Formats: sequence, structure tokens, C-alpha cells
Amino acid sequence: MAQAIDVKGKLQVGPSPHVRSKRTAAWVMDQVLIALIPPTIAATFFFGWWVLGMVAIGIGTAVASEYIYQKLTYKPIKIHDHSAAVTGMLVALSLPVTAPIWMIMFGSIFAIVIVKQLNGGIGRNYFNPAVAARVTIKALFTPWLANWVLPGGLLGSGFRGVDAIGSATPLEFIGNGAQVVPEQVPELFDLFMGFNLGGNVGETSKFAILIGMLYLIFRKVINPKVPILYILTTFVVMALWSSFNWNFEMTHILTGTLFFGATYMATDYSSGSLTPEGKTVFAIGCGLLTAIFRITLDHPGGVGYSILIMNALAPFIDSKLMPRIYGHKRRPQTKFDRQSNNA
Amino acid sequence: MRFSFMGKHGGSHPEENKSRTSKLPIVDASVPKIMVYPVSMHIGAPAKPIVEVGDKVKAGQVIAEEGGFVSANVYSSVSGEVIAIEKRGKIGGGEVDSIIVKNDYEYTKADPIVEPGRSQDMSKDEIIQTVRKAGIVGMGGATFPTAVKLSPPPGMTIDTLIINGAECEPYSTSDHRVMVEHADEIIHGINLSRALFPQLRRIFIGVEDNKPDAIKALEEASAEYDDIFVRPLKTMYPQGSEKNLIKSMTGREVSPGGLPAEVRCVVANTSTIRSCYRACEFGEPLIERIVSVSGTPIREPKNLRVKIGTPMDSLIEDCGGFAAVPGKVLGGGPMMGKTVSDLGVPIIKGTTAITVLTPEEAEQGDSHDCIMCSECLNVCPVSLQPILISEAFERGNIDKAQELGAMDCIECGNCSFICPSKIPLLENIRSAKAAIKAKEEK
Repeated sequence: MAQAIDVKGKLQVGPSPHVRSKRTAAWVMDQVLIALIPPTIAATFFFGWWVLGMVAIGIGTAVASEYIYQKLTYKPIKIHDHSAAVTGMLVALSLPVTAPIWMIMFGSIFAIVIVKQLNGGIGRNYFNPAVAARVTIKALFTPWLANWVLPGGLLGSGFRGVDAIGSATPLEFIGNGAQVVPEQVPELFDLFMGFNLGGNVGETSKFAILIGMLYLIFRKVINPKVPILYILTTFVVMALWSSFNWNFEMTHILTGTLFFGATYMATDYSSGSLTPEGKTVFAIGCGLLTAIFRITLDHPGGVGYSILIMNALAPFIDSKLMPRIYGHKRRPQTKFDRQSNNA
Repeated sequence: MRFSFMGKHGGSHPEENKSRTSKLPIVDASVPKIMVYPVSMHIGAPAKPIVEVGDKVKAGQVIAEEGGFVSANVYSSVSGEVIAIEKRGKIGGGEVDSIIVKNDYEYTKADPIVEPGRSQDMSKDEIIQTVRKAGIVGMGGATFPTAVKLSPPPGMTIDTLIINGAECEPYSTSDHRVMVEHADEIIHGINLSRALFPQLRRIFIGVEDNKPDAIKALEEASAEYDDIFVRPLKTMYPQGSEKNLIKSMTGREVSPGGLPAEVRCVVANTSTIRSCYRACEFGEPLIERIVSVSGTPIREPKNLRVKIGTPMDSLIEDCGGFAAVPGKVLGGGPMMGKTVSDLGVPIIKGTTAITVLTPEEAEQGDSHDCIMCSECLNVCPVSLQPILISEAFERGNIDKAQELGAMDCIECGNCSFICPSKIPLLENIRSAKAAIKAKEEK
């Protein structure tokens, strides 16, 4: 039979492998954006439509500042990897509904320009941009942050629902040396679902975050051991601290930024550990530090500090825990260092 | 129970694409007028031609003799006339001295290489000599001379024989069909090894669990031997890598640059062990092999019994030609196979499959910045950190690439396959290896 198709001189040649997985960096980032939808829906339900405005401002500012930075520094434009959008969305969801617009914009610009781009760009930044932005905002602008806003939400006052401004968060009752849960703290079920809770919009409903976490695990975007070990470690330390007061440790893991941070921030690729065993140490370290900060500090913020400290330690952890290569007796003995995209 | 080569990491799941050929019985390929025999279809020294242009040759006659200890004889697989000895293209590119034989379609057979019917009575030396004479090399693709492999250095004892039936490359089904249709010959081949390795205690046949019919056939054929164990392996690439098979079957690890014999193992491919049996029992040299021909552009994929030296285009015509424009034509599978630029290149002893990819399937994608997802670490079967080696190489830090274990890379391709940023990780690691070798030779 004659060959109908002439291939002479038309065949591609090149080294193996000849096929590539369909997954792309942008697809991975899109999965994180999708996983942030359940907390966004919950936040909109509890705090009103303005939450969507916050998210739009966060994403818009982050993407725009990455574009402008890359334009001004004559670098290739890389907003199409969608990682800036993820950072912007995280920044917006990390703020209370009362946060002024300029604060959301400041957070996104700070995260993208200072933490991400000036440290080498995607995959190179040693600190998680959204966490660093959030901690910085807290340090600089606390007077502008009516932190613990009780929600009005879609069922209450609608657009930007604020019914009451609380003076203290539940964390202030159970942190700072406490070993039992005082009466002012909401029920566990309310903490889990996010009912009648104030705080940063994205982190109130642990139920919604759990859906996002399971989605990321199912899509194999995050390594499940990071969020699970992080939360579990905090739980265990709190159990020991409170002499196994079930209500106390459950209240702790369902309060504050723990779920949100463990799911979307400690799992960040560039600022987390690269090696499999490094990830274990990283997650346990985050959990230990969070518990210690909560026990000792008189104000919230333990999750942010913990993740940043572990971010700083991650290269060291990785250099000590490089996987043992097949057939070798020892791990590779070499420094873990990475080249900046700017170099 | 399924055996996997590692618990926590290693291995990927490229689309298998085996279903178009996995159930098709082996059929004879047509034999074209012109056959091409490269003098180098194995690892080691090229064979030396012992025929001249104009000579008449028989099917099964040596036309090039081994050129050293690590080398292999080359046989004509047809009868006819030597019409040229010249450079010809080969799978993977480049040219190699080749003996061109014009087929007379008489199939006049040369004498068997040994007296048939007495493989059971052969001594160790006779078996090794016969395997050597038959020109048998690793037929899974590695093409290392089998006689050398079967003669471990003095002082090394072998207690475990591992037969590699993993066939983890996508599309490939040649070993699969050999196991289904010739399980008995594989078991006979295994029994020959008892004379070779007196201390042999266990024989493992590792087969990926996507081939239940092969597992069943081998279990039936080996039912009467209580030291032959058919071990289903989790379907995962690269289960069939020699180092990983040894680890998953015995828990032992071969040291860097070491031979399987140092951990008392010998690993042989299913088709190779079958050829050893046929050489000893029937006096047949290695002049035929099974080749699966598949891929989206192939009109009618097949498992073919092919005379070694048959140009690829003849086999593609046997399969109805191309139904769509091919992007890449590969000798082997898509993970480790080699490209050809011209379909006139011949099938050699280690060609397990012809895989044809459409231009879209072969699309490599544009490379972007690493996002540190760590997938390349997760899929590396020897626990390397491919991205770090690749970056060290790109920075020109060859020492660092070496410290990170570049030389331990088995070039399975998993890292490049999985990378969402489409970084050519394996290409960089290969370059790093070449640079390390160049540095050490200085």
C-alpha cells in the first residue's frame, strides 16, 4: 500500500521524553483561585457584597502592579501565569470588611513588588507575599483596622454589612496564657461554620476553607501533609497545654487564621520547603510556632509570624533534608541555593 | 498484593495508550526487498563485517562478528546478496556502518548455531557461549550484550533472577504479547539460568498490573516451580527501570555506578530470556523480534514479528500507513524512545516498539520560570532533585550538579514530563552529565 502522507524531511527530532503532562503553571494557579471561591462565597454571605469588591480590588491591584513593575524594569510580562491574581485574592481575603480601599491596594502592591518581584519573581521569593503583606499591614496600620467586625452580611445590612464592632477577638480570650475557653467565645459549631464571627473575611468559615483544601488535595496541587500536619501540631500542643481540654484545643484550631493559613499560605510553593521531608518539618514547625505564639503573645497574629519564620528557615531545612539518592549512603551534602530570575 | 518500587515518592502516570494493541495477537510482518543491518545495534564495540559486496548469504548466517568482549554478532535475517556496506541512518540520528542485503525471498537457512533439542543438558559455559554466539543483547532497549550480563565477575554470587516484564512505556505492547503468547518459552529460559547460577534461590517476574492476562499466563506456565514468583507491579512509570525493579523485588539498592550482581541480582527482559531459550533449544540466532507499532496517526496498529534489519517504513505500511500527519516517529516509547528523521532506518535488536505521535501530542510547550511545585522531586525514581541540578547546570556550576547526584540520573524523563513550567530538566541534566564526564577526563 502506498503511503498517502509524505513525511520526508517533515519529522520532528529531539531528545526524550517526547510527551509532556497537560498541567501548566497557570492551570495550577487557577486551581488555587478555584479553591478560594468557597471562602469567598462564605465571606460574601456573612459580610455582604462588598467582599467581591475587595477581591476585585486585590486581584486588580496585584496584577496591575506586576504588569507595571515588569514593564518598568523591561522584564517579560508574566501576569499570564495567574500567580499575581492568587496573591491579590489572598491579600483581599486576609482583611476585614472594614478595611479601606487604599489598604487593600497597599497590601497587594507590597506583596507583589516588594516581597515577590524584588526577591526574584515567581518561584524565587523566600517569603509568602500575601502573609508578609498581611503582617506588615497589621504592624503599620492597626489604628485603621477595626479588626473584629461582627457581620451583618446578606441577611443583615446587605452591601457592606457591619452590625457591631467588637473590641476583642476570640483569640484574645483563649490566647495569652489561657487554658480554658471563657464563655464569651462562640460555640464550636459556629466557629466551624463561621456564623456570627468577625475577623478577616476569608478565614471565618472553616467549613468553606475545608472544601477548598479538599479540592486542592484532590487536584494534587498541594501536598496534604502540609495543612494536616500544621493544624494537627497546633492541636496537639494545645491539648498538652490545656491538659486535654477538648473544647480548648478545638476552639483554637477553629479560630483565627489557622485553617486559612495552613490551606492557602503554608502550602505556597516558592516560600515553602521543596523536599518531601522538608515539607514535614516545615508544617510541624508552623504548627509549633503558632501554638507557642498563641500561648505567649497577648495579641493575635501567630499564624502569620509562624509562616514567615518557617519561610525564612525553609532553605536551611531543605539543605539538611535533601532526599537520599538511590544507592547512596548519605544525603547530598550541598547548600540549598537558588538563582534569582533577576540575575 | 501489588509491588511498587517506593512508598513515598517516585513514578508518574503518563497516559498508557496501550489498548489499541494490547489484545492483538502477534502477526508476521512482511519482509521487504532491501534489508539493513547496522554493525552496531548493541552497547560496546561495533561488530566487524565478514562478508563482502556480492557475497551470497543465508538466513541466520553471521555477517559481522563481535568486535570485542562487550560486543555482539550480527546475523542476516534473510537469504540473498550483500549489495553494499555503507553508512546508513539509524534510530536516534547519526549514521552507522551497515550491511545491505537484497532479499532473494528463498529463505535459505544457515545451519543452527548449536545442535537443537539439548538445551536441558547444556553446561554453564555452553549456555553462555551459545547466547554469545547468537548475538543476543538486552531486548528491552538497553542492548547490553546478554552473555556479559550472564557472566558476573568472579566472586559474585547470584541468588535472585529478575525477569523484567514491566513494560512501563506508554503504547508499547511487544513484551506484553510475548508474555501472553510465549509464557512457556520465558519459563524455559528461566530454567536455563539454573545451570548458570547454582546459588539461585528465587526468580521474580515483575509485570505491571495493567497486564492481567500476562500475569495469568506466566502464573500458569510457572505453576510447577515453587521458586518462580510472578509479581504484579503497580502501573507506574518507570517500574521497569533495572535499579527500581531490584529495589522493589528484593529491597536491595545497587551502589552508584555498580552492577546488579553486587547485590546478587541479574535482571533480564522477557524477550531477552525467551531469545536465550530459543538460541539454546533450537540453535536460532537473534534475527527476529516482536515490535508493537502504534500511535494516533497509525491507521491499524499491530504487534508484529519482525525480521531484524527491516526498515521502519515497511512496518508502517503493514499497519496501513499514516491516517494523520505524524509529528514524531520513535524507536521505542514516548518517554525514552529515540526520534527518527527518515523512515528508512532499520529495526534493531533493542527496538521494542514504533510509536508515532501527532505534532500536537509531541508538543513540548514553551518553557517558563520554575514555580517550585516540587513535582520533579516527587516523580524521580532515584530521588534526585532535578530542578536543582538543572539550575546548577544553567549557572555553570558543574561541581554542584555533581554533588546533587547528576550522574545517578537514569534518564527516565519523568521530570521533564511532569514539569508544569515545561522546563527541559532532563536535557539540562544530560548536559550536566556530559560536562561532568568531560571534566573528569581532563
